[in-house]
Formats: sequence, C-alpha cells, structure tokens
Amino acid sequence: MPILDYITVSFLVIPLIILVLNNLFSKQFVERINFKLVGVVAILQMALAVAGFSLLSAAHWEDYRFSLLWDWTMEEAGYFAVNSLSLVFLFCIGFVLLVAVLVAKATVEQRKTAFVNLVLTLLLGMNGMVMVRDLFSLYVFLEIVGISSFVLVALFQLETGLEGAFKYLVMSSLATVFILTGLAFVFMQTGSLQYAQAWADWLSVQGTAQLYTYLAFILLISGFALKTGVVPFHSWLPDAHQSANTAVSILLSGIVIKVAGIYGFIVLTKLFPGFPPVALALRILGLLSIVVGALFALRQTHFKRLVAYSSVSQMGYILLGLSSGTTLGFLGAMVHIFNHATFKSTLFTNAAALSAQAGTLELGELGGLEKKMPVTGFSSITAFLSTAGIPPLAGFWSKLLIIMALWKSEAEGFAAVALLASILTAAYFLRLQKKVFFGQLPEKFGAVTEIGGSVKFAELMLSAVNIAVGVGFPLILLFFEGRGLL
Amino acid sequence: MDAVIYLSLGVMLVAGVMAVMLPSMTKSAIALAVASAALGMILYELGGIWAALFEISVCSGLVTVILISAISLSNIDKEELPKVYEDKKRMALLPYVLIAGGVMLVAVALWAGFTLPVADQAANLGTYLRGILWNNRQVDIWGQIIVLLTGAVAVVVLFRERD
Repeated sequence: MPILDYITVSFLVIPLIILVLNNLFSKQFVERINFKLVGVVAILQMALAVAGFSLLSAAHWEDYRFSLLWDWTMEEAGYFAVNSLSLVFLFCIGFVLLVAVLVAKATVEQRKTAFVNLVLTLLLGMNGMVMVRDLFSLYVFLEIVGISSFVLVALFQLETGLEGAFKYLVMSSLATVFILTGLAFVFMQTGSLQYAQAWADWLSVQGTAQLYTYLAFILLISGFALKTGVVPFHSWLPDAHQSANTAVSILLSGIVIKVAGIYGFIVLTKLFPGFPPVALALRILGLLSIVVGALFALRQTHFKRLVAYSSVSQMGYILLGLSSGTTLGFLGAMVHIFNHATFKSTLFTNAAALSAQAGTLELGELGGLEKKMPVTGFSSITAFLSTAGIPPLAGFWSKLLIIMALWKSEAEGFAAVALLASILTAAYFLRLQKKVFFGQLPEKFGAVTEIGGSVKFAELMLSAVNIAVGVGFPLILLFFEGRGLL
Repeated sequence: MDAVIYLSLGVMLVAGVMAVMLPSMTKSAIALAVASAALGMILYELGGIWAALFEISVCSGLVTVILISAISLSNIDKEELPKVYEDKKRMALLPYVLIAGGVMLVAVALWAGFTLPVADQAANLGTYLRGILWNNRQVDIWGQIIVLLTGAVAVVVLFRERD
C-alpha cells in the first residue's frame, strides 16, 4: 500500500527537513517562523498517526515494514516498521510536542533556534525508537533521545539547570551501560538482535542458559527503570523536571520518560515471554513507585517538583498494567500513557502560567489565585481530578482498566494498594490546589491577571481533551470490544 | 601476542586513571587518547582490525582534537581546577587503589585460567564489514547520522560564547 509508505517515511523525513530549514536561513527570519513550523510538524504527526492507524486496521495488518532509500526485502536487511502500538506512541509524541511548542512560545525567549534544533532531534530519536525492530537500533535511537534531553535541560544554563542536567546525564549514561551490556548478553545467547528472531531464539535457549537470562533481564530492567525514573531509580527526575524550562519539563514528563522507559519495558515483556520474574519485577517497581512517589509528592514545596514526583507515582500504574500480562492490562497501560501525557502536560502548562503571572512556583508564597486566574485554576482542577482517577474524567478509566486487569490476573493485593494509593494522589493534589488557588490572596498578587495567548489556549485544549476522553471513553471501549480486544 | 595485550592493558589502566585524576584538562584529554590507543592495540591483537582502526582514528584521534579544541575555546581559569583538586587530598590514594584493583583483576583472571576470546574471522574481512553496514544495518546508519546531527547541535549549544 504505497500511501502507507508515504505516511510512515514522513515520521522521519519531515522532522529532518524542518531541521535543515531551521539552520538554512538567517536567524532573524527563522526565529519568526520556527515555532510555527514545529507546531505544524506536531499536528501533521498526529494526523499521519491517525491515518496510519485507520489504514492498518482496515487492512488487518499487524506490522507494516518500510525503509529509507534501501531495499528492506533483501535477505537479513534491516527495516523500520509501524504497528498499532507504535502509531499510538507516535500520536502521543505529536500531541505532547504541540503542547510543548505552545508553552515554549511564551517561555522561550532566547536561543530559539537551538531549542527548535534540539526538539527536532528529540522528535527524530523518539519516532525512531518506536519504529525500529532491532534491539541495537533501539539503543542507537535511545541515545539520541538521551543526548537531546540532556542538552535541552541544560540549554538555558541556569545554575540549577546545569545541576539537573548533570544528574540526568550521569543517570542516563548509567542506564546506557546497563542496556548495552544486557543487549550483549541477549546477542551472545541468540545471535540476533532483531526483535522477532531474538524473541524466538531466546525461548529456545532459556532452559539451558538461566544465568544469562537473569543477567540480561536484570541489566535491561535496571536500564529502562532508570530511563523511566521509577523508584528506586528516580533521583534524577525531580531535579531535571524542576530545573528545566517548563516547555522542556512538558516534553520530559509528558512523553520522553514513556518512550525512553516505558516503551523499553514493553519490548522487554515481549523479549522475555512467560519468564516469571518479569511480571514480579514490574509489579514491585510499579507498587514502590506509586506509593513512594506519592509520599514524596506530599512533602514537596515547589509546584514543578510536586508534579514531577506525581509522574514517578503515575509511571507505577503503567508498570502495573503491563505486569498483568493481559490484553486488558496492556490496554489500560496504553490509555494511561495518553491520559498521563494529557493531565501532566496540563499541570506543567499551569506551572508556566503561574510562573509568568505570579513570578513564583513556591507553594508557600502562592495562594488565592482561583479568581485571578480562573482558566488556570479550572484546568488545574480537571487535571488533578483526572490524575486521582475521579469519574468521569479520563484518568478514571485507565486506572479502572489497570486495577481490573490486576484483579483478573490474581494480583488482588497489588490491585488493592493501587486503588488505595489514589487517596494519596488526591491528598497531595488537594494540598497543591489549596495552597495555590484557594485561601487568602497575598497582597503582592493583587494585580495578577489570567495568562493569555498560546499558554491559555493550551490549557483550554488540554482540559477539553481530558473531559472529552473521559466522557466519551465508553464509546472507545465499545470500539475495542468490537475488535475483540476485550 | 599475549605480552602486548597485557602491556596495553596496563597502559590503558594507568592512562585511564590519569585521565580522571589529572588536574589539567588538556593533559587529561591526552591521557584519554593514550588509553584509547592502548585499547586500539588490544582490539588489533585480538583480531578486530576494523574495531581497532575506528578506536584509534575516531576515539584516540578525532575525539581528542575535539576535546582539546573545546577546552581551549571554553576559557577555563587555569588556576581554578588545581585549587579544586588541592581541596580533595583524601582522593590522593584513589589512583593507587584503582591500579591495584586492575592488577588484582588480571591476577584473578590468570589464576582462573581465563582465555582471551578469538575474533570471528569475518571481522577481518573488509568487504564483509561493508556488506553488513550497507545491507543489514541501514537503520543504524540513519540513526548514526541523526546522532551526529544531535552531537553537532549539542556542541554548538554547550560551547557557544555567552551573549
């Protein structure tokens, strides 16, 4: 189907073309249009992902292979490929990128060309990661994501920014070493790094080479846990999120930790099918992250740091969904990835609005801003209710699916704790809402007004998506049921 | 030639420790180049000719040139770094500990009868390497092109003069 060729190739070629254009013309000219161009790239990516998903579903194909300027049908040739999973990720990447650009328009005033260059290389890295079908290629694109993220965090060279970036660099390098060594063990055992072949070969050798299986598994799971920022590998995440520009925080929390970390876990679950420690490790990491992340969030005094710890906690739910090993759990995890991208982007957009209008993100200094900033207050409340899993907002459905899947896979204890941990989520967000939007308005905020422009638009758009997905989710469930997925 | 390999291992270890511990960034970069060259020798002796070539030309040569250029561009106060190291007297024993650790590892490997791996014959064949790169690893070549682009952008951003 040639049209699918054009669609799939576009995910790599369009960002490359814009990257070249961004450096081809004079700085004055480029800086007038480059944010708009990235916005168009983001919208195109979402549209192409939807089109690709529809065409793939209509043709009942699981995988669509393609290449750039070479013949992938040759024997043992490498190739890119898309399937439903990669298209969902590609859509989420486009969605978060759009929000980040809307916020960057208001928050990035200097070094716009460098910012756009790095965002585009980050986009190329993430798109490549979800479209490769070889473990070494996955590592190559993971490195692109790591380098781009590190420089984005350090871009504006604030003192705290450099500290956060340095922590990210050190932890990311450690993850790289773990992942690369793990891949070496996989290659030693299977002689191939292509997903399909490595999975098949691994199954045939695991009975006789348990030591290598465990070593590869421990190294890979540690590497991807570091990239996701789940407990106890989370120390870099709050620093990097807090110290980066808010548009970068949106990218990091909204999508980078999911593509670099969670997607790696998904590949891992397929690499070790039926290997009992996989489910157990994911459940333990997931549960620890949910509870410890929420407890840390309760103690935070900085808006962005609290939201970053909330991300640690929410990643735990996604891991629990994946650990169930069922279609229902996988579906719940995927929906939670999208929902988390929505409500976490909303909260970081709120942070951008508060920082611009009130000039601080310290919870102790804020208060009573609900009447002064009604749109920010409203969008923040919808995001908080969705994160806590309150019906009928989007977060409720994904958490419900994950808990149901855990219950069905006889992990009732994990399901119960995950359910109860929602109380902790509600607790830290209620505290945040009270400190920022309710109570006495400090005198110095008397002249504060609602933010306008692209940030306000982003807040409204994200709230609308949050509510629409929540209210319309039964229809989505019916769609999945109709396709025999439930 | 096991003697060359063990000698190179020793040089690599000492140069590696010096790269981390030396107070001068330029000398540190040169020590890193020596460590890379020693690794290149080991790879060559083990039969990985192409890997040795890349290691010596790219890591030992190109990366050193880039590092030294970056150091000279960054205008770091020459008095500053030695002062930082002077404050860390407690680290003085670290190089000896690292070198002793490396020697112990070699001793344990010899005692346990560890044998050096033999490279696949295919690794020595230039045409085969080219075949692998162009016929099997095209995805990685695209990835590497993007890695180079990202690296170039990163260097421009991080080493750009302040306004």
